[in-house]
Amino acid sequence: MSQLSSDWVADAQIAPPLPAVHGTSLLRRSLKLWRTRIGLALVGFIVLVAIIGPYLAPYGPNTPVGAPNSDPSSKAVLGTDYLGQDVLSRVLYGGRSILVMAVLATALALVAGVAIGLVAAYSRNALDDTLMRGMDVLMALPSILLALVAVAIVGPHAWVIVVAIALTTTPRIARVARGAAQPIVERDFIAASEAMGVPRWRILSGELLPNTLGPLMVEASLRLTYSIALIAALAYLGLSPNPNGANWGTMINQNQLVLAVQPWGAATPIIVIALLTLGTGLIGDGIARTAAGIDRARGEE
Amino acid sequence: MSRFRPTGVWGFILRRLLLGIVVLILVSILVFLATQALPGDPARAILGREANPASLAALRRQLHLDQPVFQQYLTWVTGLLHGNLGRSLEAQEPVSTLIGSKLVNSAVLVALAAVLSIPLSIAIGAWSAFKREKAFDQASSNLLLALAALPEFVVALVLVILFATTVFHVLPAISTVPPGSRPWNNWVALILPVLTLMIAVAPYVARIMRASMIEVLESDYVEMARLKGLPERTVLIRHALPNALGPVFQVIALNLAYLAGGIIVVEFVFNYSGIGGAITEAVVNHDLPVIQALAMLIAALYVVLNLLADVATILVTPKLRTRL
Amino acid sequence: MTDVSRRQLLAGAAGLAAVGGLAAACGSGSSPASSGSATAAAGTPKRGGNFRLGVTGGGSKDIMDGQNIITKPDQARLVSAFETLLLFDENYQLTTNGLAESVTQDNPKQYTIKLRQGIEFQNGKTMTADDVIYSFQRIGTQKNGLTGYAATATMDIGAMKKLDQYTVRLPLKTPDSTVPQTLGSYTFTIVPTGYQAYPHPQIGTGAYKLKSFTPGQQSVHERNPNYWRTGEPYFDTVTITDFSNSTAQVNGLLGGQIDAMTDLPASQVKVVQARGMGALVSKTGGWIPICMAIDMPPFDDVRVRQAMRLIVDRKGLLEQVFSGYGFVGNDLYAPFDPGYDHSLPQREQDIEQAKSLLKAAGHANLAVDLHTTNGAAGMVETATVFANQAQAAGVKINVLNDPNYYGNQYLKLAFSVDFWGTRAYLNQVQQGSLPSSPYNETHWPPKSGTGSNFESLYNQALAETDATKRIAIMHEMQQAEYNVGGYIIPCFGGLIDGYAANVKGLKPSKGTLNLDSFGHGYRTIWFS
Repeated sequence: MSQLSSDWVADAQIAPPLPAVHGTSLLRRSLKLWRTRIGLALVGFIVLVAIIGPYLAPYGPNTPVGAPNSDPSSKAVLGTDYLGQDVLSRVLYGGRSILVMAVLATALALVAGVAIGLVAAYSRNALDDTLMRGMDVLMALPSILLALVAVAIVGPHAWVIVVAIALTTTPRIARVARGAAQPIVERDFIAASEAMGVPRWRILSGELLPNTLGPLMVEASLRLTYSIALIAALAYLGLSPNPNGANWGTMINQNQLVLAVQPWGAATPIIVIALLTLGTGLIGDGIARTAAGIDRARGEE
Repeated sequence: MSRFRPTGVWGFILRRLLLGIVVLILVSILVFLATQALPGDPARAILGREANPASLAALRRQLHLDQPVFQQYLTWVTGLLHGNLGRSLEAQEPVSTLIGSKLVNSAVLVALAAVLSIPLSIAIGAWSAFKREKAFDQASSNLLLALAALPEFVVALVLVILFATTVFHVLPAISTVPPGSRPWNNWVALILPVLTLMIAVAPYVARIMRASMIEVLESDYVEMARLKGLPERTVLIRHALPNALGPVFQVIALNLAYLAGGIIVVEFVFNYSGIGGAITEAVVNHDLPVIQALAMLIAALYVVLNLLADVATILVTPKLRTRL
Repeated sequence: MTDVSRRQLLAGAAGLAAVGGLAAACGSGSSPASSGSATAAAGTPKRGGNFRLGVTGGGSKDIMDGQNIITKPDQARLVSAFETLLLFDENYQLTTNGLAESVTQDNPKQYTIKLRQGIEFQNGKTMTADDVIYSFQRIGTQKNGLTGYAATATMDIGAMKKLDQYTVRLPLKTPDSTVPQTLGSYTFTIVPTGYQAYPHPQIGTGAYKLKSFTPGQQSVHERNPNYWRTGEPYFDTVTITDFSNSTAQVNGLLGGQIDAMTDLPASQVKVVQARGMGALVSKTGGWIPICMAIDMPPFDDVRVRQAMRLIVDRKGLLEQVFSGYGFVGNDLYAPFDPGYDHSLPQREQDIEQAKSLLKAAGHANLAVDLHTTNGAAGMVETATVFANQAQAAGVKINVLNDPNYYGNQYLKLAFSVDFWGTRAYLNQVQQGSLPSSPYNETHWPPKSGTGSNFESLYNQALAETDATKRIAIMHEMQQAEYNVGGYIIPCFGGLIDGYAANVKGLKPSKGTLNLDSFGHGYRTIWFS
């Protein structure tokens, strides 16, 4: 999975760091680019499909509507899958469970990552080092491997997948949070607040947090779409909480065998995931270009 | 050359090495502890219907389940360091025997992908930089962006749909390596998996090459070369290219590390008999020793390659100082 | 009883009506008449080639034992080297095409087996009565745990007598009319005296000798130049490869890496035929039951069992899981047996009745786990589709697909899916419906009430020499199973196998094994 697509924006070693501009203004600016708009439209569309799909589906996800692997017909617009169920309906139902798990995982990672990142940035000492080393350890395993090991031990339950994804996402969010907080921590008004005796936690939540929200939101939304693709990949490998339910990843697995006969069963979820991740890539690229543009403009000042 | 202190560089390498070892130890603890949380009795799970008190006790002794956790961990780790990767629960054979040929298969795949994609992406990146903002640059940039965004299993399956099953029927949809034979016995079957991995790696290398090349092309060093009246081709190949390669090595190492995780899904798509397929199968079979061994293997690979990436950065950074 | 001729033996008089039909015996050598279904024009058999077979369902627990199997790759390997006294043909009729020249029933408690002379084992040793006795003894020893053990319950193996070098007397403890079927069942083979399973040398009478074997991966079998059927076999070698899933198998077939495969998914029939290859569709009596243990809750209440049987939409399941290949079932097995009770009405889906039965039993919103695995084509899909169908009755079924199913809790589960091949009724009862059966998933028969006399009825049927009376007893047994049994048998999905265009000689078969009993041990098929 293209985990590097998000590191594209946040990782200082490969791409320029986000400038210390209020995050939402960065987003607004980047929307001027056509690519960001297209990307947003794609992502929005797919997420919408995942949310309201079940209300639009002509049949239930497990209703047999015809002979297995039949071609598209008036009855089943995209044909039927390996058990004779309607492909279109299953695609419409198939995003929900993935989306729910991805949102939970990202939310969890956001809370944990922000806490760790801000504390690390603020401490500027051994605590900072320890925390970041801990994050390095978590990042030492490829995300999918971590998820695989977790599922192998406990089983493909929803909470296991959520926690595993959260564990791989937290360090990356922590890094972004820390990166965004560091320049602020250096500023005078922080020192002034400390001198005035403002409690630490107040400084953290009152001063640091609001200023880092911008880049964090950007990172979190990129991570969300990445998590969706990762959960779908896990389902494709056969590891999902409900193997019988409609799920984009599981559908690809179940229908891969009949690609030569009835491609839509596997091709449709593939296209859906492809559009989602393309959209994410475009948004990320748009933001990176805007940031680079800001930097270049700054450099020329 | 006299810009950095050798002790500084070696000191850095040493520190990163130590850090890498610490990380590996922590990962091993993580992997081992996680697998200790197994609900139920592994011995009973293995013996199934043939379980009786005597055979259970014997198997528990064999698996060291009667020892305290810390001792089991030490036994396992020392075993790892001696090349003893444990015994598969499913096959009742040493893990090293089982994965020997699979390791070779995966290595062949990754090596082919690397050897083919890296020169290609460097070339694309360099040319894009040279013909900046022109047609080739725009087109390749957008294409590479799209390819970078797609998850590997999507890329793999799209390739399968295009070339194997639905649009054209020229390549095999599956690349199983039968037991006893080698990947190159059926090289046609390697085309699609290698192509998938190449697509996973190429965009980043091309991108960084382009960025680095642009910077070098605008540098005084290259200006000087041009002013000297050297032909453009010589300037490009002899002067610009070598200096632009610096940051590329780091990205290459990072991508190879990333491939360590990427082959898990790619091998599944193509039913390729490598360690990626082996770990997925082990997960489905709850074959913990295999999972532990392979997880450590992949993690070690990842850490080592990341370490190489960091070292490469430091070593070549001075060369980027082209400003006179 | 008079010594009946070989021809009369397999007719009704000697009480072998339990065989599917009363076909006359056929001579040895050439294969019996086919069932009439279309097959590729055979042509003249040609020698040569390496026949590569791909089978799924195996793993590192693969064995090679002439008298035992666990999985399908084991079956594929067994038939290459080991043979039985009697043989079933494609119509599941017994013939004397095997190692025995004749098997005659002297009286209800005694059989005489006359061996074909001059047959040698693959090590050159001639097959004699001593080997037959050893073979029976090996199967009849309980601690060996062989599949045929339950069938030896009525045999008095200790009193087996060697009449001469090629004749054996087999006395029975109690009358048993199923003995000939047992002698034709594919794991009841003749092995040389002293034989033991792999890793000991595998020496049988079969057409191919084991050359090499890596369990879980591959085995290579070499042509037996000394094989007793002149002219056969045709291939030089046979290579059997374990596959982990059918996707790899199908692609191996399409890509030319294997010449034949077992259990071709129904969805692939069109694909394979479009490429000029063959799909062997056999309407066998093989079945995939959903098993309810009658002594474990909630299935210990007969109303719950009856309700579950009313939930299933049989035609729909046949369509969804097997793409229509096969025929609908009525919760009874052995459909080709003349004793099959056709008078019992075909069960149909009745959700309302099911719901009321469940409510009466106090399980209005039942939630159960259903265990399954990938042991045979359709097992997982049967569970999935049944679970979907059960929602209509308010029953929530949680399908658990366990790769270690046959090791972990097999036969101890309340609700599970299993697979069986074709068998005659009484033989099937002995394998799966008696307390002593090796594979009794439903823990039938019940200890009280309807069906509690099942075992004694079985013994009566075994001993009954009059065919009509025996069928009447079998009907009584089936009525009990039909009313209060633990099996849900929605349908008999056909066996579909795939083979390359140049493989000749395969015919659809009603028998137990895939690929026409693997081309009758790989000896009746050849490359064109």
